[in-house]
Amino acid sequence: MAGILEFAPAIVLLPFLSFLIALGAGRYMPKGGALAGIGATAGSFVLAVATFFAVSGGQTYNQTIYTWAEGLDAVNLTFGLLIDPLSAMMLVIVTLIAFLVHVFSLGYMNDEGETGLPRYYAALGLFSASMLGFVVSDNLLMAFMFFELVGLCSYLLIGFWFRQDGPPSAAKKAFLVTRFGDYFFLIGVVAVFATFGSAAFAGPDAFPVLAEEALHGEHSVNTFLGMGEEAWFTVVGLLVLGGVVGKSAQFPLHTWLPDAMEGPTPVSALIHAATMVAAGVYLVARMYGFYALTPTTLAIIALIGGFTALFAATMGVVKKEIKQVLAYSTISQYGYMMLGLGAGGYVAATFHLMTHAFFKALLFLGAGSVIIAMHHNENMWDMGGLKDKMPVTYYAFLSGSLALAGIVPFAGFWSKDEVLYETLIHGLGGSPILLAAYAMGLLAVFFTGFYTFRMVFLTFHGEPRTETARNPHGVRWNVKAPLAVLGVLAATAGFVNMVPVEKLLGIKGIDFLHQFLDGSFSSLNAHHYAEILPYSSSYIGGEATTVAIGAGVSLGLALAGAALAYVLYNVPEPVEHTEKLGSIKTVLYNNYYQDEYQVWIATSVVQPISRVLDKFDQGIVDGVVNGISSVSLFAGSRMKRIQTGVVSNYAALLTLGLTALLLGLGLIGGWFA
Amino acid sequence: MVPGQYYLVLSAAVFCIGIFGLLTRKNALLFLMSVELMLNAANINLVAFSYYWGNVTGQTFGLFTMALAAAEVAVGIGIILVLYRNFDGVDVTKATTMRW
Repeated sequence: MAGILEFAPAIVLLPFLSFLIALGAGRYMPKGGALAGIGATAGSFVLAVATFFAVSGGQTYNQTIYTWAEGLDAVNLTFGLLIDPLSAMMLVIVTLIAFLVHVFSLGYMNDEGETGLPRYYAALGLFSASMLGFVVSDNLLMAFMFFELVGLCSYLLIGFWFRQDGPPSAAKKAFLVTRFGDYFFLIGVVAVFATFGSAAFAGPDAFPVLAEEALHGEHSVNTFLGMGEEAWFTVVGLLVLGGVVGKSAQFPLHTWLPDAMEGPTPVSALIHAATMVAAGVYLVARMYGFYALTPTTLAIIALIGGFTALFAATMGVVKKEIKQVLAYSTISQYGYMMLGLGAGGYVAATFHLMTHAFFKALLFLGAGSVIIAMHHNENMWDMGGLKDKMPVTYYAFLSGSLALAGIVPFAGFWSKDEVLYETLIHGLGGSPILLAAYAMGLLAVFFTGFYTFRMVFLTFHGEPRTETARNPHGVRWNVKAPLAVLGVLAATAGFVNMVPVEKLLGIKGIDFLHQFLDGSFSSLNAHHYAEILPYSSSYIGGEATTVAIGAGVSLGLALAGAALAYVLYNVPEPVEHTEKLGSIKTVLYNNYYQDEYQVWIATSVVQPISRVLDKFDQGIVDGVVNGISSVSLFAGSRMKRIQTGVVSNYAALLTLGLTALLLGLGLIGGWFA
Repeated sequence: MVPGQYYLVLSAAVFCIGIFGLLTRKNALLFLMSVELMLNAANINLVAFSYYWGNVTGQTFGLFTMALAAAEVAVGIGIILVLYRNFDGVDVTKATTMRW
């Protein structure tokens, strides 16, 4: 196993190679380049697993691969690889899901006779490669570049069906909204360079370490705007957080994600589970050593997370289309991860990132399978009774739904419960803001349980409501196999970190993820983060009692939500119950008018300002430039008249010039004095 | 021996005659001759200073200049020939097509 980490760059390069192959030779290959992508992601997956085991064995890798700009003042811009437990875990998740999505695409794209497959597989390969590059980045600038590449690929894939009206518009929206956050991220990257002179995540000059030393007065850094160190670090942290909020679809930049459902369903699975949306949360986890130093930033992260979790969950309740429900559940679940990170639950949030990747990929692929069966009709009110027609999809989807709703013992329960538990104990330890965020997160559990099972019952239970649902289109092995793999993972992935069981029954050593994330670099492990966090813990009764109460309450709420859905929708002929919501229904259908107010900001605030700036640009800046040009043109039109074409005139001018020169020199030289 | 100033006065005189010819004549051949005069005025200066300082470098340059002048005349006469063919004469004020 020695030296396996030397092959880590290949994990990134293999999908990139498949991108080149699919782009260049995809049209000559069978399956439109799919086999290259499947082979490449399978290879990456094998390497990622090997890397994972090497990292479990205590190996790490932190190497600069290429310096692409030598700095004069010791700031070098580099590409490098950082393999530590966090990135190793993420590599396994991303490569596994990318591989399964490629396989699933055979069923969803090839078998359905789509055109433009080489373009599809090329973009899919580049998407995987960029995300993997982002995961292994060893500095913030490289992370930013791959972050942008991820955004570009999502644009390409969401707008894959560019001949229709919806997808290109959704792709543009996704690109612009995430780009809005990325502006702040870019400024944050520059600020990190200006402050610390380095943007490395690990190593002797890692910026989180420098920041920590600066706060202890052991090291001096440049701060700006006359701020103290902590205030300035908060500003930098919030700037970088802008990119995170955009990519991870947190309030208020979440509006792009539901629209992104216009893309092909396997792409939605990839975007939501492993690549694009996960990038934001992963970035916070990556530089957690920096965020943990500033309590204000953490509180803001926790509040955004808790609020988004609840906010998105309520919108998911009324949606009619299966993918829309999943889209809002994604926003909500990433809200939990942000809540976990903000509340000091680094391991909990990472754990939720992992379990969510599995069950959300599963749910999207399951939805894809249903959509194939329904001849691309996504409206759940046209489905019903699919349980008996497509049992593999049903049981896999059910496993994912139980995980999403957080029902014990499926994966989502363990991770969501740990996030909420960490928030609760740190909130009780003297942070009322965390308690508020906890309340929102807890309430969201109920809504999650409700909308998840509403979706399951409407889709699979009851009587078929349309002809298509009575005779669904069959799906093949290439759809069922990924579903089966993820179905098992969604049911079992939670067992890697059974903290509640450990705390309640006192069985030591079954929190494998905690132990795993405690390995490696001393400045990057969970233990170190726990030390620098500004939170203290407090319990209701004892530790075990708190665990039991927390888990009991969240499980109870999830079950209550599921039970309500069961009562309302698990009937042979379900009807809409949204009328009972009264006026709230309109608000929910319109997604709290988020799109409307953002359009209002654009047209009523930004546009007038732009108009004034345009006036300035057109009038003053362009005026100066145009003035200079008209002066030159006028002078030229006068001066050109001496070009008469008569040689004698030129000779006369030359002679006059010579005489004038001689006279001038004579005057200066004093010949006539 | 002849004082150095005399050579310079001669050179200046020859140069001015050349300029005068250049400014007053229209015939291209006379133009060429005037230019030759000016060139030789410069040559006289070279030789005179060379003699004055007792350094033969200037005289060598004078020889080079004469050789160059011969080559230049060949080019000049060639140009005049083309002028004659295109404008039916050697009047330089007639050839005014290269103007704004």
